[in-house]
Amino acid sequence: MDIFSDLMMGLSVAITPINMVYLLVGAMVGMIVGVIPGFGPSAGLAILLPITFGMDPIGAIMMLAAIYYGAMYGGTITSILLNTPGESATVASTFDGFPLAKKGRAGPALVMQAVASFVGGTVGVILITVLAPLFAQVSRSFGPPEYFLLAMMGMLTLIVMIGSNWKLGLLSALIGFALGTVGVDLETGQGRYTFGSAELIGGIYFIPIAIGLFGLGELFYAFYQGLHKTGTGSIVQYDKEERFWPTAQDWISTRMTMARHSVLGFVVGVIPGAGATIASLMAYSTERSISKNPEKFGKGEMAGLVAPETANNAASSGAMIPLLTLGIPGSASTAVLLAAFLLWGLRPGPLFMEQNPELAWGLIASMYLGNMALLTISIFAIPLFVKLIKVPYRILGPTVLVICTLGTFSVNASFVETYLMFGAGIAGFFMRLYGFSPAALVLALVLGPLAEEALRQTLTISRGSFGIFIDRPASLSIIGVTIALVVLLPLLNRFGKSAGDAEKAGT
Amino acid sequence: MTISMKLDGAWLRAAAFATVLSVPALLAGSAVAEDYPSPDETLDWTIAFGPGGGNDIMARTIIDILNKYDLYPGDISAENRAGGSGAVGWGYLFGQAGNAYGISTTSGSFVTTPLQADTPWQPEDFTPVALLATDDLVLVVNGSSEIQNIEEFIAMAKESPVNIGGTGTVNVDFIVPTLFAQRAGFEFDYVSFNSMADQTTALLSDALDAMVGNPGEILGLIDSGELRPLVFSGQSTPAALEGVPTMGDLGYDIGVSMPRGLILTPGAPKEAQEWWIATMQQVVETPEWDEYIEKNTLTPTVLYGEEFREFLASTKSGFSEVLRSVGAID
Repeated sequence: MDIFSDLMMGLSVAITPINMVYLLVGAMVGMIVGVIPGFGPSAGLAILLPITFGMDPIGAIMMLAAIYYGAMYGGTITSILLNTPGESATVASTFDGFPLAKKGRAGPALVMQAVASFVGGTVGVILITVLAPLFAQVSRSFGPPEYFLLAMMGMLTLIVMIGSNWKLGLLSALIGFALGTVGVDLETGQGRYTFGSAELIGGIYFIPIAIGLFGLGELFYAFYQGLHKTGTGSIVQYDKEERFWPTAQDWISTRMTMARHSVLGFVVGVIPGAGATIASLMAYSTERSISKNPEKFGKGEMAGLVAPETANNAASSGAMIPLLTLGIPGSASTAVLLAAFLLWGLRPGPLFMEQNPELAWGLIASMYLGNMALLTISIFAIPLFVKLIKVPYRILGPTVLVICTLGTFSVNASFVETYLMFGAGIAGFFMRLYGFSPAALVLALVLGPLAEEALRQTLTISRGSFGIFIDRPASLSIIGVTIALVVLLPLLNRFGKSAGDAEKAGT
Repeated sequence: MTISMKLDGAWLRAAAFATVLSVPALLAGSAVAEDYPSPDETLDWTIAFGPGGGNDIMARTIIDILNKYDLYPGDISAENRAGGSGAVGWGYLFGQAGNAYGISTTSGSFVTTPLQADTPWQPEDFTPVALLATDDLVLVVNGSSEIQNIEEFIAMAKESPVNIGGTGTVNVDFIVPTLFAQRAGFEFDYVSFNSMADQTTALLSDALDAMVGNPGEILGLIDSGELRPLVFSGQSTPAALEGVPTMGDLGYDIGVSMPRGLILTPGAPKEAQEWWIATMQQVVETPEWDEYIEKNTLTPTVLYGEEFREFLASTKSGFSEVLRSVGAID
């Protein structure tokens, strides 16, 4: 009952006309920064931060938080329609979202992604409301050994991503790992393959690579196919009005997917540093490995879109837990929110919710409202976005190229990153042509440096002993979960399948 | 009568004050043809990092104070030129050598980035205005640790080497504990993290024995007792860390900290440098500045002009010495 009264107090703080305006502005801005490739929520937040200096902190934090989770809704739209992830957490949404649109199901895909985002986001907020203190314990049990194991678990995903041609898939992953070694070595401080360039000190950021490989690669491929010559040519099919809404089958088949990945995404989001990107990739591969028809994944399977979409939104809610309960930002975006708290003279930490109940609960309450607003905006905006794909490809193609370039450049004003994006675009085209796996490359680029750094930190701490992985309860339980995923799930699946086959054979 | 006398007195003092002020201005005017700063010129203020970061906040705080007290006559255009850990922004300022209207704020990367990458500039190349504050670090252990104070920590570390976490290697986070350990006579393994958030989580999960960090970001955890502060690296302990000794108090003064200051383009005119020194002397006296220092738990350390340049040079050589000795840089 205590939680309920806190939440009501939060609602009463949040629902003032002016705060509602801030919330809506934040949600809209979030969708827009999400839609622009390369320009993610952390960049959007950082740019809007200065205008909140003079604002009332409650309205300001509601607005900034709405930008953050709003970007998760917007980022998928270009993933589905253009195969260009608008935002890092929506890379996984291209895997099945774009094939769905190619099959003529752009409308249902967009509706389902909005609903999945809403479910993930809302379940996430419910979990914050009810279980924040409990999950704070999860966030604080993660040290380098656990991060290493988590990255290892994520690498299992590679097996799923690699696809049918395992040699080329493996090669793609190796290229990703190799790119991941660029940058100053965290432990010794020495530059690796930076060639003295200040812009490569921090390593190769995977967003320009993902935009190049997926978005530009697709674009070049379309030109290669001569799509720009056909008058109304478009890779994505969408003409029949009655195909806007998802079918009953779509809802029924993804019900459990949403439930599963709301929880999975939230738990991964709670772990500081893991964040929405890893959550969405893990959700995709988990969904595929437990699916009854994994062969349909990558060819336009609704569950393959719903899983990462639910997970990335649930993770963006989950990331609020370490921020609110420990004052530790779980992602680049929550780091900007933390900077905002500090700017307003607040002191984030374990006492934050106690000392600032109005702000904390106002924020939580506003997240319920924000998710509802975003669901409505998304569904109303779909017809607008769908019009976009009716634009002839000879106009749409170059426009996408310009937007990708501007989006990538504007984040860090870096020429090196812009060149990397173009380079990745050309590589993406050839990878597509010869059957490599861009997804495996991106995943390896994300997880490789994480695993390397965490392992070296772990071994520095343990002075070279691997026993540390077994000594710590948290890492022991991750090992348990990994073994369950690797050994037990396929067994269960095989058992279920043969039972199903037997049934079919029997009838 | 007495009232008018008082008024006259005040008027006289004001007039005398105005004359004193205007005399050098007149002299300067005749010498260089125009006054600095000219209200027609827009001040080009480079912020070498993105919005919301420590450098950005300091630049915008100073600009707000300049505007509020009408200290700068012309327009100020502040632009974030982020990229390459400051290399882009300070490179831009470096490219305008001699321009009296190019200005920027410095932070730790001003010293460390040239040590790591081939920047065309070095920190001493720029025209120094003032060092305004330093970022110092606090050494903390987990609140559930048996270690209650720094003496116990040193005693434990002397028995068996401890590990200490920090952010990055070519950074004050590595240099401060290294120098401190040398002075206090213990050994430790440094564990480098990508961010303060990662290292704080690692300490809370009991993977680390201790870590160093900027107090501002972890005050919440210190207040609640989750983290226990042991020692502070600055010259004086900030109010929020009352009761925590400084390294100097223990007799292990390390004399290294991250400079937050103000610089002009290389070879900027002398009168521009002098004008900014005089102006910053006023800025650091305002209540807004005090509030900024306190909110960000900085150590107010003020040095003007050439003294600031010497500070930068000695900080740089101190850093490169320690980093070279461990092989982090060539």
